Amino acid sequence: MAEMKSILTIVIFLLAGLTAMPQEVTLTVDAPATAAAGERFRVIYTINSTDGQFTPPKFDPAFTVQGPQQSTSRNVQWINGDVKTVATTTLIYFVSVSEPGTYTIPAAQFETKKVIVSSEERKIVIVPAGQAPAAGQAQGQGQTRAAGDVPSAGTDVSLRLLFGDREVYAGEPITVTLKLYTRINLSGLQELKYPDFKGFLREDIETPPLRNLETEVIDGVQYGTGVVQRMVLYPQISGDIRIDPVEMTVLVQERTGARDPFFDDPFFDSFFSSVSTVPRKIATQPVTIRVKPLPLPRPADFHGAVGSFSMESSLSAPEAKLNDAINLMITLKGSGSLNLAGEPVINFPQGIEKYDPKVTIRSSGTSSGSKIFEYLLIPRNTGTFEIPPVSYTVFDPQQEKYVTLRAGGFTVNVTGTPGAEEGTAPVYIPGEDVKYLGQDIRFIRNGNGRLSTVATPLVTKLYYWLWFVLALFITAGVLLLRREQMKRNADIAGQRNRKAAKNARKRLAKATALLKSRRNELVNTEVARSIWGYLGDKLRIPPSEITREKCNAALTERKVGEDLITELNRILNATEYSQYAPVSEGESPAALCKRADTLIGRLDDVLD
Amino acid sequence: MRRTILIHIILMAGLLNLAAQTPEERYVQAGELYGSGDHSGAAAIYRQLYEEGFRSGDLFYNAGNAFYKSGDNASAILFYERAKLLSPADEDIDYNLQIARSRITDRFETVPQLFFVRWFDFISLLASTNFWAVAAITLFALALLLAVLFLTKSRARGRLLSFWLALAALLLSLMMISLAVRNNSLVNHNRKAVITCSIVTGRSAPGDSGNELFVLHSGTTVNVEQELGDFREVRLPDGNKGWIRADCMEKI
Repeated sequence: MAEMKSILTIVIFLLAGLTAMPQEVTLTVDAPATAAAGERFRVIYTINSTDGQFTPPKFDPAFTVQGPQQSTSRNVQWINGDVKTVATTTLIYFVSVSEPGTYTIPAAQFETKKVIVSSEERKIVIVPAGQAPAAGQAQGQGQTRAAGDVPSAGTDVSLRLLFGDREVYAGEPITVTLKLYTRINLSGLQELKYPDFKGFLREDIETPPLRNLETEVIDGVQYGTGVVQRMVLYPQISGDIRIDPVEMTVLVQERTGARDPFFDDPFFDSFFSSVSTVPRKIATQPVTIRVKPLPLPRPADFHGAVGSFSMESSLSAPEAKLNDAINLMITLKGSGSLNLAGEPVINFPQGIEKYDPKVTIRSSGTSSGSKIFEYLLIPRNTGTFEIPPVSYTVFDPQQEKYVTLRAGGFTVNVTGTPGAEEGTAPVYIPGEDVKYLGQDIRFIRNGNGRLSTVATPLVTKLYYWLWFVLALFITAGVLLLRREQMKRNADIAGQRNRKAAKNARKRLAKATALLKSRRNELVNTEVARSIWGYLGDKLRIPPSEITREKCNAALTERKVGEDLITELNRILNATEYSQYAPVSEGESPAALCKRADTLIGRLDDVLD
Repeated sequence: MRRTILIHIILMAGLLNLAAQTPEERYVQAGELYGSGDHSGAAAIYRQLYEEGFRSGDLFYNAGNAFYKSGDNASAILFYERAKLLSPADEDIDYNLQIARSRITDRFETVPQLFFVRWFDFISLLASTNFWAVAAITLFALALLLAVLFLTKSRARGRLLSFWLALAALLLSLMMISLAVRNNSLVNHNRKAVITCSIVTGRSAPGDSGNELFVLHSGTTVNVEQELGDFREVRLPDGNKGWIRADCMEKI
């Protein structure tokens, strides 16, 4: 039975070949995989035959179906004498579904005289309105667009951002091209709106205005393409950075008449329809760029330049006059973030005045070019100065490491006489603050090493404290001795004091005894002695120091009456006088003795 | 093993060689090493001299410099502090100490000492303890002599003068005794210590079980308040207290 069937099939094929319809009948269905609720989309059945009966599918009751719009075409080709006929039947259903959900479009059937062919079943997901892909809604044609770099077939107009690299280092420039793809005729572009490119520094490259579209075939579909804008982005922060869509309004020439089912490709629309210009918003897909941070630690002389560079330096003149400017040029060449490259740090010698460099960027449209740092230097002192070699570190993203560039140093010979221009113009010489270049500890002491070990601290020793005690004892001893001595001295004086009158009277008695011998001068001497002795003992004046003035003063001090002092002086005068004068003159010695005796008695009453 | 012995022999030889030189020669040699850039070599010699008992402000100052240059900031601070005790008026020591201190991790709100305590300490450090001690006993003797004069002299004006002079000498002598004692306690029994471990935890009790109170880094100066076994109770410059392992600090 099976054999029978296969034989029958072969026969049918043979017959088909005879009737100039060699190809197999096929029924294809074209329907979107997703659509928004309420949105009208198309379900298209294409049959490569015109003779037969089409049985439409049993659409789900939730479907609102319009159509079909049927069209047939017949194409006869003569190729090398062969006649080839291509017939096509197209049925278009306009369907809309209001309820979200997953639906199945059942198979449709086509029945010819010979065979019955079925289309495949199609699943369609109806999403709630508003969630459908923006592109599909914008186009309003029930066609969804696959997200991707290359526009899928069926997208009329789209805008793409093409990135040179999606994984870069911070600071590494990315070239970005904003490109327009279209399958329909556009009459103009309007309102290009960029997002804020957060995390990037954007630099537009001069791009000629878009006049003509170029033809490009992507996946077998022909597009008109054109570059809207080129730019360079320099990532400023690291991480996954999202770039929001770039939006643009294009003016689409849209057909106003009924759609021709035959040429239902928008690319052909303009040939056959009357058109009107309709603005349409298009946008790019959001893109995420992975920005890798620069490796740590960063070298000290890294100033933000990322890319591959070379560096050279040149000096305008190796000889310079005092106060004449010379130029030092540091040129950084290569491709990379020239804009972000900071100036190199050069430690110019003291005595050369440095001004901030003039920075020139020469860029040839892309991010390659050169950056020139031009330093204006004015030597303010004469002599030979060394401009040190410049070292500048850049990050090379290709090698993924830091590369240190070096440019040679120079020797500048500065000649001239300081103050040579003084004759021509008064020169104001401003006082200059001392420049402090750094901080370090002070140098060691290079004394001739006099080293000593530390002596035992005395305060910790008992004998030290005993010295104080000893000193106290010695003092106490000295004081005691002194007191003893004074006491004794005081006793001798006291005795003499007490016996003063007695001794004086003894002397007077002796003088009275001498009266009988008539030797007056001896009597007077004895009287004077007795008085002086009395005064010396009583007033505690040593005999060697006694004078009349001292006695008078001492007596006055002791509150002795004036008459007594006068009497004393008279007696003393008398004794002295009689010693040197003739005997007969003056008082008699006996009277003098008596007066002296009375005086001593009276003095003894007054003096203690 | 053999290598260790060999190293020991070399070290011993080195020490013997050192010992063969007089301390003064080694001091000069260390200065030359410092000048030629071998800072750690110089520091080792200075340290050796310190451990042999030599004391001088210049020696400690140089040692501090050598330690600073060889990167041992804590030892540098330690020796600057020691140098300051021997030459308190040396402005270079203060300057270098300040630079060394600027590299310490720990920062404190320090409670400054009362000004008269500071002055008193400064004066006491201006001379050695024995100088003060000798001066004190001399002045004491002078005061006693004047007292004897006062007690024995009879003339009124001279007596009064000798009384006041004796009183002044006695007071000065008392002051110098206190200066001598203070100097001794500052120089020979200083309670300050410098943290030498790069990081050490202060705890609320001696041992490793107490609650952690603070973390100190090398170079910080603390005051040792109590000693118990291998632990020391320290007072931080801001007044807080805690227990720290004894091998993580060196006394000034």
